[in-house]
Amino acid sequence: MGNCCSDEAGGRAAMGGASSQNPNVPNEAIDHFLKSRGYHGLFSQIELSYSAADLRDRDVLSKSDPMLVVYKKGRDGLLEELGRTEVILNSLNPTWIAKHTITYHFEIVQTLVFHVYDVDTQFHNVEVKMLKLDEQQFLGEATCALSEIVTKSNRSLTLDLVHREESARSTRPRNLGKLTVHAEESLSSKTTTEMILRCSDLEYKDLFSKSDPFLIISKEVENGTPIPVCKTEVIKNDLKPTWKRVFLNIQQVGSKDSPLVIECFNFNSNGKHDLMGKIHKSLADLEKLHSSGQGENLFLPTLVGHDYHNKVLLCISSILRILNYIKFFAFSLRLLNIMQILKSQLFVEKFSQSVEHTFLDYLAGGCELNFMVAIDFTASNGNPRLPDSLHYIDPSGRPNAYQRAIIEVGEVLQFYDSDKRFPAWGFGARPIDGPVSHCFNLNGSSHYCEVEGIQGIMMAYTSALLNVSLAGPTLFGPVISNAALIASQSLANGGRKYYVLLIITDGVVTDLQETKDALVKASDLPLSILIVGVGGADFKEMEILDADKGERLESSTGRVASRDIVQFVPFREVQSGEISVVQALLAELPTQFLTYMRTRDIQPLSS
Amino acid sequence: MASTFLRTLEITVISGEDLRNDRRPIKKNAFAVVRTDSYNSRRTDMDTDGGSYPKWNQKLVVDMSMHAQFITLEVQCKTSLGDKTVGTARIPVSDFVGGYVPESYLHFLSYRLRDHKGERNGIVNISVRVKVPEYASCSRTELGIPLGMGVALGQRNFGGGIVTGVPVLCNYPGKY
Repeated sequence: MGNCCSDEAGGRAAMGGASSQNPNVPNEAIDHFLKSRGYHGLFSQIELSYSAADLRDRDVLSKSDPMLVVYKKGRDGLLEELGRTEVILNSLNPTWIAKHTITYHFEIVQTLVFHVYDVDTQFHNVEVKMLKLDEQQFLGEATCALSEIVTKSNRSLTLDLVHREESARSTRPRNLGKLTVHAEESLSSKTTTEMILRCSDLEYKDLFSKSDPFLIISKEVENGTPIPVCKTEVIKNDLKPTWKRVFLNIQQVGSKDSPLVIECFNFNSNGKHDLMGKIHKSLADLEKLHSSGQGENLFLPTLVGHDYHNKVLLCISSILRILNYIKFFAFSLRLLNIMQILKSQLFVEKFSQSVEHTFLDYLAGGCELNFMVAIDFTASNGNPRLPDSLHYIDPSGRPNAYQRAIIEVGEVLQFYDSDKRFPAWGFGARPIDGPVSHCFNLNGSSHYCEVEGIQGIMMAYTSALLNVSLAGPTLFGPVISNAALIASQSLANGGRKYYVLLIITDGVVTDLQETKDALVKASDLPLSILIVGVGGADFKEMEILDADKGERLESSTGRVASRDIVQFVPFREVQSGEISVVQALLAELPTQFLTYMRTRDIQPLSS
Repeated sequence: MASTFLRTLEITVISGEDLRNDRRPIKKNAFAVVRTDSYNSRRTDMDTDGGSYPKWNQKLVVDMSMHAQFITLEVQCKTSLGDKTVGTARIPVSDFVGGYVPESYLHFLSYRLRDHKGERNGIVNISVRVKVPEYASCSRTELGIPLGMGVALGQRNFGGGIVTGVPVLCNYPGKY
């Protein structure tokens, strides 16, 4: 088998499966596994369904015949049609049957626009896709961000329908009714099965000892070699092994009825493992096998069956048993012709299913992301009154790098924070007549650090620029410790919040070890830290803090960060078509959030 | 009541990383010993197939004196010449007691191990939860009781009739 590594130690370990359900194991391997398959735990397929109430009546003799058109609004403001619903006849309170699937991305604001039309009787025989929308009567429009829907506990958001912008000025505002959008995550992707498998009467394969068996579970694909999804650990010297539990995600294998191949191999350190028998079963079959408590005979394709000391009689009972379990009758007959049934049997000791909570489950279940900001006011930014300064406020209104970073990160995160009150700090400056402060409240208050909304951060930032004098050095430690304090206080109050600290800086930290110490401590708290580097400085040192690029962070006392909580990106001009810096910055957040919640076995509140 | 002077810790020794024996990755049979004082220690089973990246994932319940400052965690390895210490970590109690987090918070902690020469030798990952009795589940910090205050270890008899006693109010003579 080419997919088994020949390295002795690594090759014997169990691999794959869905996710380690064990709450105590940091699931870095699982994260890697998911990432290698292109999903980070944050790409969820969401099904949108719609209903409306109190629509305007535009028909004279009957009620309106409404149809809904859904658009996705791009960053450039252009609308892209996602789909149309069917036309519902004579209804002012329609519930549409048509549903649309959209992929949820945490790191971008996905703006949806809904248009409701009254489709005239003359068009009722026309396919909805072919309808010319400008020939239909417009009943109203509504817009929202997808994240606004998924953070609602019932995942439904009701919007007021409004006029189109151009007509809004001419007509009086009238009640155009309400639109309710419901978002549902596909459930099958969340179900994980857990099994404990065991075999009996395996054959001798090694010359001087018993065999060293392990199992590989693969998914059968049409005309192709099966794709391995999971493998157990190697048990040495055992002809009736019981392996550790294995996990299979339903999404990984397709469905519960998708055929799987379970192969038992004898481990060979040279990587050429001998097949000791195999079996074709779906998860549903394995569940039946578990409830019956019986074993199932393994078989060998005769080409491989070169073992002579194990002649097995094809007794009637085993034929019957196999016929019972193998779904396709003809297929099974074909198999019987070319295979050798073995005495070895496979048993399913344990079979259970569980639902793994997704990021969206936690959001709907009352968990919040709380946003915090810390801004670098060190002198290396340049005099804020001069245009070459990174802190220069352009009178034309063009945002500087600091403002752009706040807006871009803030506009994504604000939807996940219900009170929209954000702690905002500055560091590395001298407030009026004071010594240099490495964590001062941006709003100028000495009592509270919170400001209202993204606009509040922007205002506090511009006023702070006028009230402090830039100094140095660049210390992160105090800001990180303050954020950690807020996160731990929230835990003490029984909060279910996860904090995100955005640090925007123009240079390299002076207190690298203190910063590491603070980060290592914070890795045990519900906190993630995003660092954005602005300006042209060399940010090599910052990369050290971002643990996915190197070793785990270690404090001066020998404590090591228990998980990666830092994400660093240099903020450069984004060319059109490129993935935005902020997207890259935010992409890891849901995984960091899930690692925290899952390792601690924190469940979302049921909605 | 002895339990008044002791904290019960649930320490799950999760795994080790990059463990070496004289620079060579260890092959098998690593185990971990958690020691809260010279009388209280627990050990995990041996890991047989993880090599230099052993996984134990084993919960150890161990008592710790209220005024302990450190606990130690030793990773050892069974060899043909007997048990050999691979690396030791000294874990400050303040990493999982005190601060604002609830007392029963499940802490995930990792530590650098050092061998007898003081050289870096791998990492150990653990989780620690302080077991809080039902009737006293409120946080000590909320009650305003300073943490790590001098409370007697209690009097315990160890075989030979030696009694270990620590004076009760030695740390805060002024307060009482």
